[in-house]
Order: sequence, then C-alpha cells, then structure tokens
Amino acid sequence: MSASTLLELRDVGKVFGDTVALEPTTLSIDEGSFVAIVGPSGCGKSTMFNIIAGLLAPDGGEVRLHDQPVTGATGHVGYMLQKDLLVPWRTVEDNITMAKRLTGRVSAADRGEARRVARQYGLGEFLRHYPSALSGGMRQRVAFMRTLVTHQPLLLLDEPFGALDAQTRLEMQQWLLQVWKDTERTVLFITHDVDESIFLSDRVLVMSPRPGRVVADIVNPLARPRTVDTLVDPQFVTIKGQIMHLLHGGQP
Amino acid sequence: MTDVTAPGAPRRAGRSSDERVTRKVARNVGVPVLSIVLLFALWQGIVVVFHVAPYIAPRPRQAILAVTQNWSTLWPLVLGTIRETVYGFIAGAVLGVGLGVIMAKVPVLQRLVYPVLVLSQAVPIIALAAPLVLILGFSVTPKVVIVAWIVFFPVTVNVLDGLSHVDQDLVNLARVYGAPRWRTFIQIEIPATATPLFSGLKIGATYAVTGAIIGELAASDGSSLALYQEHANTNLNTAAVYGTTMLMTVIGISWFLLVVGAEVFATPWQRRTVARRGWRRGDRLEDEPAH
Repeated sequence: MSASTLLELRDVGKVFGDTVALEPTTLSIDEGSFVAIVGPSGCGKSTMFNIIAGLLAPDGGEVRLHDQPVTGATGHVGYMLQKDLLVPWRTVEDNITMAKRLTGRVSAADRGEARRVARQYGLGEFLRHYPSALSGGMRQRVAFMRTLVTHQPLLLLDEPFGALDAQTRLEMQQWLLQVWKDTERTVLFITHDVDESIFLSDRVLVMSPRPGRVVADIVNPLARPRTVDTLVDPQFVTIKGQIMHLLHGGQP
Repeated sequence: MTDVTAPGAPRRAGRSSDERVTRKVARNVGVPVLSIVLLFALWQGIVVVFHVAPYIAPRPRQAILAVTQNWSTLWPLVLGTIRETVYGFIAGAVLGVGLGVIMAKVPVLQRLVYPVLVLSQAVPIIALAAPLVLILGFSVTPKVVIVAWIVFFPVTVNVLDGLSHVDQDLVNLARVYGAPRWRTFIQIEIPATATPLFSGLKIGATYAVTGAIIGELAASDGSSLALYQEHANTNLNTAAVYGTTMLMTVIGISWFLLVVGAEVFATPWQRRTVARRGWRRGDRLEDEPAH
C-alpha cells in the first residue's frame, strides 16, 4: 500500500439470504481524495458504506483505516445521509456539536468551533435557531458541519443532496468542494446522479447490482476548480458517456 | 414551517411583536373564556326560559354561591381531591414511563406484559375499589392507586409507541459516532418521544380527577368532595351538587392546563424558531453582539 492510502478494503463482501449485496471487494482510497460512487439502487453502495462505518459486519475481509484494522468498529468516520437527521429539539449550534455530546462533554472549544464553522459557511445568524426554521439546503449544510466537526479524516456522504432541488443542489456541490478544499478531508460520496459524480470527484467508482460489485474505477482528469462550465467540458461529456454506458449494462 | 428560503426571515415578518403577543393572548385565552361564558349563558337561558325548578337545576349564580358560601368547609375537601389527583398522577406517570421504556427495550417483556395491561384497563374501576379498601383501608392510598391505575395506561402505550418509532437512521448515526447506548437513549430516544409522552400525560391528566372522585365515592370514610356532593344530593341541595361538580371540573381543567404548560416549557422547539436566551446555563454567545 502507498504511503498516502487512507482507507483500504480487502475482500470485503456481504450476503443477505440469497442476495449478494456486495461481492468481495478490494479497494483503496488515497488520503485527501474525493471519490464518487455511482450506481443504481441495489448495487451495494450503501452496504459498502455501512460496512466501512462499522454499522454492518462484513461476511469476510477486512477494513483498514490508516493501516489499522477497523472492521466492525464504529467511531472512526464522519457519516451523512440524504436525510439530514438534525434533531428538532436542539438548536443549530447544538446539532453541530451533537457527536461530542453523544461521546463525552461539549467543551467551550467545541462550541467555539461550531460557531466559527457556522459563521464561515453562512449560518452564523442561525446558531440559536431550531432546524424547523431552516430550508432544506441550510439543513443539509448544518448536517454537513456536524459531520465536519467530528474531525474524522474520512467522510462518508450517502446521497447528501439527493432530496434537494436542482438549483440548490448545484450550489451545495460548489459549496462542498470549497469546504473539502479548505479542510483537506477525504470524501467518499455516493450518488446516483452521474453529473454529480463527475462534477465533484477525482475518481468515480461505478457499481452494478446482482451481484453488487464495483465494475469500473475511472480516474477523473477534469481540472479544478470546477465551475458551471465544467458541466459542458468535452472531457466531462466523454466520461459521462463512459459511465452511462457502464450503468446500462456495457462492458468496461 | 420548513421552507424559509430567505435567510434571516423571521416568522410573521412585518408585524410588531406587541401586536403579535396581543393577538396570541386573545386567541389562546380570550376564545376559551368566551366559550365558557357562553356555556353559562346557555345554562341560565335554559333554566329561565323553561322555568326549571331549583331542585332540578339551579341557576349558575346559585351554584356558584353554594360554593363560595361554604368555602371554609369545601376548601379542605378540594385540597384532599387535589392531593389524590396529583399523587396518583405522578405515580401513574412514573409507572407508565418505566413500563413503556422496559417494554420497548425488552421485546419478550412487551409480549408478556401487554395483555396484562389491557386486562387491567378492562376491569371496571368501581369493582376495583372494594378490594383496594380491604387491602389499603380508607386512607389516601386507595384513591392514589385508582388514579395511578387510570393514568399509567395511556402513558405506557404512548411511550412504547414513541420509542418504537424513533428514526433508526438517527440511532445508527449515533452509533457511527461511537456513542454508548445509554447516551443514545437519553439524548436521542427520550427527547424523540416527548410528543407522544405528553399526549399520554394529557389523556391521563383529563382522567385523573375522575379517578380521584371514584376513589372518594368508593373508598372514603366521611370527608371528601365526592361524599359532600352525595350528601347534598340526598338533601335535595341541587345548587351544592352543581357547585361541587363545577369545583371538580375546575380541578380537572387546572391539572390538564398545568400539564400543557409543562409541555410548552419542555418542548420549546415545537413553537419557537429561535431558542430562548439563557434557556441553558452558560449558553451565552459571549462573542456575539447583543441584540
């Protein structure tokens, strides 16, 4: 393994009854990279996430983070779903510090960090608001800040913008890229939106169902920073064609 | 209210806060008071128009006088009923929450205990009074037990229901963070159950006084609000019968309102967009300019 590998899966697989949710998969993710995973439902992408997060024990194989085995253990990744999962009874600030409260004490420094992050990314005025007062996009940003302040090097984002309208989604994608650049995290990003997977990533893993498996691992050569123009770049269109082909049953 | 797209837009923008408070008070206090006044007017109207005899139904004024003129006798009895109601309610609420939590966490116990709980509510409460008196005597205890018996059931059912509907993705998220189960229970599952819990408590609160009165009728040795009323009835003192009924109703409504008040206080996020300032000790945004 290379010095900069953050996450490694070695022959990690999962079977539910007669269904192969995820074929034994081997994979390594570089530190600081942005990897998109794209595939239809049932291709095992969420199963893979749950195994990495430690919510699900794989049938076999090993998950390694920083070259340490973490198979079946929790508390080592940031994790965010399409549902923002903000708790309605806590303010924006207290939602951001939720992980600390659940695992120990929220210190003044944690609070300070939550406020700083919220202000930096445009939610400073909403620290004392309850989530019910926020729009969908704002809620997702709070959920992401909550993920960010866990200080986990690896962030697992499972279709975080899937429920947003197209306009908000594009704004959130650009925002996410900005935060990713600022904070130097490693991101694994599930989506079934091919454009989104290309727009965001350094690398796209294409997955396919029955059995759930990674069918292609595509390096994304598009230059950063990405802008609206990226979406009509000829290279963008080429990669998109390649992925679409794979998603509709073509061979790599 | 989930779609405020304009950042910083407060609810009901453009209306002064004084005016808003006035409207709110008018709506939340004025309307219920008006409906009670109308009820009394209707009562008065029926008695006057149909020339109802005083021993069948008194006028509202007579019923109220029957209470105020005998206040020194009635007050200790009212206190007794309040005590039975409050003790019984608290016992029932604690028992109800405890049972709900245990049943939600141990599925085997849930299957085992649920039929017994339903059975307990099918027993006519009056039939329960006699054995309770035999066991516990004529003290305050049998009344408290009857009230608790009535109150715990809706609380248990609602807590159980609430706990089994907590978003599992949220529980999983806490697990991903590495949270111990007890913290997840206290910080996620319990607050997520606040709404059904208070529903159960409100149902319990409306029945609590009824339970206390049944207890007083069936297990009282002489001095209680229920027996006072029964005595007045025997003496054809209809005004006092109506008066004591009104007193019992007032106790019931007050207790219900107190529980509603507790809910409003305990669940500010259901009514507010912004947290109360100083709602938690040390929660001062010291580096934020004062508003």
